[in-house]
Amino acid sequence: MDSIIKINVERDGRQSRLKESYHNAPYKLTHYGSPRAQDHLEMIIMSASPGIMDKDSLVIDVHVKENAHLKLFTQSFNKLHPMKEGASQETKVLLDKDSVFNYVPHPVTPFKDSIFKTVNTIHVNDGATLIWGDIISAGRVHRDEVFAFRKLHSITRIYQDGKLLVTDNQCLLPQEQPVSDLLFFEGYTHQATLIYCGPFAKLMKGEMDEILTMEYEDVSFGFTECAENTLLLRAVGTDGELLYNFLTMLAQMCWVFTQDQLVTKAEETAGIVAETAPKETASKMVDAKEAVKKKTIAKGKKAVKKTVEQRTVSKKAV
Amino acid sequence: MNPLLTLLQINDSVFPIGSFTHSYGLETYIHKGIVHDSKSTEAYAEKMLRYNFFYNDAAFFHETWKICEKKALKQKLIELDNFITSLKSPYEIRDASKKLAVRFLKVVESFQSIRRCKAYLEAIQAGEAHGHYAMAFAMYAHAQNINLDDALSAFYYNSLNGIVTNCAKLVPISQMDGQKILFKLQPLIRELVDKQADMDPDMIGNCCVAQDIRCMQHEKLYTRIYIS
Repeated sequence: MDSIIKINVERDGRQSRLKESYHNAPYKLTHYGSPRAQDHLEMIIMSASPGIMDKDSLVIDVHVKENAHLKLFTQSFNKLHPMKEGASQETKVLLDKDSVFNYVPHPVTPFKDSIFKTVNTIHVNDGATLIWGDIISAGRVHRDEVFAFRKLHSITRIYQDGKLLVTDNQCLLPQEQPVSDLLFFEGYTHQATLIYCGPFAKLMKGEMDEILTMEYEDVSFGFTECAENTLLLRAVGTDGELLYNFLTMLAQMCWVFTQDQLVTKAEETAGIVAETAPKETASKMVDAKEAVKKKTIAKGKKAVKKTVEQRTVSKKAV
Repeated sequence: MNPLLTLLQINDSVFPIGSFTHSYGLETYIHKGIVHDSKSTEAYAEKMLRYNFFYNDAAFFHETWKICEKKALKQKLIELDNFITSLKSPYEIRDASKKLAVRFLKVVESFQSIRRCKAYLEAIQAGEAHGHYAMAFAMYAHAQNINLDDALSAFYYNSLNGIVTNCAKLVPISQMDGQKILFKLQPLIRELVDKQADMDPDMIGNCCVAQDIRCMQHEKLYTRIYIS
C-alpha cells in the first residue's frame, strides 16, 4: 500500500500551528494532546495497521516554516512483517529559518524475512535546528528472533543551506555480515542514533561532555561533533525501551537547551543587554545564562540517572 | 620514475606523514579488552578490511581513481571530497584523514609537482576542500602510472599493516604473529581488490555502528597514545 503523510507548520504569533496536512490509510496524523497546551506544535503519527507489510511504501513530508517549532511523535514500535520483495519509507524534511524540529520515532523491529529501505533527506536552512533520532532492533528478541530479517538499509542525508553536511549509510545484511559480532552490534541487540544539528550544537557538545561522563552496563555509547554545528550520538544496548527512553531524554535536553538559547538570542537581538540596560543588569543577564546552563546540566544528570535506575528496577523485577 | 619503487616509497610505514600516530578506534578496542591477543587481532583486522575499509577508504580511493581516469574537472574531486567528509562522522577519524592528506601532498609536492595534487592541496588550504588521505594517495599513484590493481592492493596492505603494527605495540602481540597475519590476509586483499569495481554504489560509506562508537569513545579515553 502506498501511503503519504504531509505536515506543514507555520508560526502564528507565539504559537506554531498546523497549516496544511494530509494523510491516508492506514496512517492518521493528529494532535498529541491539546493543541493549545503549549506554544510549539506536537503531532503524533498513528497507524491502524499492525505494521509495515510487503510492498508497502510510505512518504513522510515535513515542512517547518520560519520560526515554527514542531515535535513529531510515533505511536508504537515500527514492526516490519515478513516480506518477499520489501517495503520502503522516504522521509523528506525541510526546515526554514530559525525553525525547530524534533523527531525520535519508536524503534524499528524487523521480523523474520523482512526487507526494508528507508531514505531520509533533510534540509536545515538558515539557523534552523534539527533533533533527529533513530533506533533499530535486531528483531523480536524475546521470541529468539534475532537478526532473522533479510535486509535493513537506512540512508540519512542532511544538508545545511544546500551543502551536504552528514551522510549516514547503514545496511544490515544478517545473511552476509556477522551483524552480532565485532564492529557491528558486538553482542548488543539494539542500536540508536541521535543527531542534533543547528546553531547551538557546539554549546550542546560542551553540556554533553559534562553530563555523559559515566559508563553504563546496558548501554554503550559515544558522541562526537560529526560536522560543523552537528552533534552525533550513537549507542548500542540490549533493551529497546531503555534505549528509546535514553534517546528521548537526550532529545528533550537538546530541545530545552535550544529553546533557552533562542530566548537568549531573541533578547540579545532586541538589544536588551547591549544598549539599554545598565552594566549591572548586563552582568545579571550573564548570571542568568550561567544559571540556565547549570540547570540544564543538573536536569541532564538527574534524567540520565533516572533512566538507568528504571532499568535497574526492571532488572530486579525480572 | 619507476612506478614500483614509487609505490613502495609512498606506502612505506615510515613515509613521514604521521600514519603511525592513528589507530582509528583500535585503541578503544584494546583498552576495553575486546582485542586482546593474536586471534582477536586477526579477527579485527579481517573484519575491518572486509566490512569497513572496503566500503569506505578503499571505495573512496577507487572513486578518486575513476575521476582521475576521466581527466575530470577539479569540481568533481571537490564534490567527492565533500561527500567523504559527510560520511566520516567521528571527529578524530575525519581529522586524521585530513592531516594525512595534507602531509602526504606536501611530501610528494617536494619530489615533483603534480598539477592535480597541487590543486587539491591548495583547495584544502583555502578551505574549499576538507582533505582525505584516500583521495590524495589515489591521485598521486595515478599520476605516477602505477596500475590500479597494485595501488589499491598496496593501499589495503598499508591499512592492514597499521592495524598489525598498532597491535604489536599495544596488545601486545609478537612481531612473528603480526607478520603471519599480514601474510595470511593476502588472499583477502586480493578478493576485495577484485570486487572493488563491482561494489554496489548504494553501499558506499556503509557504517559499522560499534566501530563508529569505539572511534567516538576514543575522544574520551583516559589514557591515549594515539591521536584517533
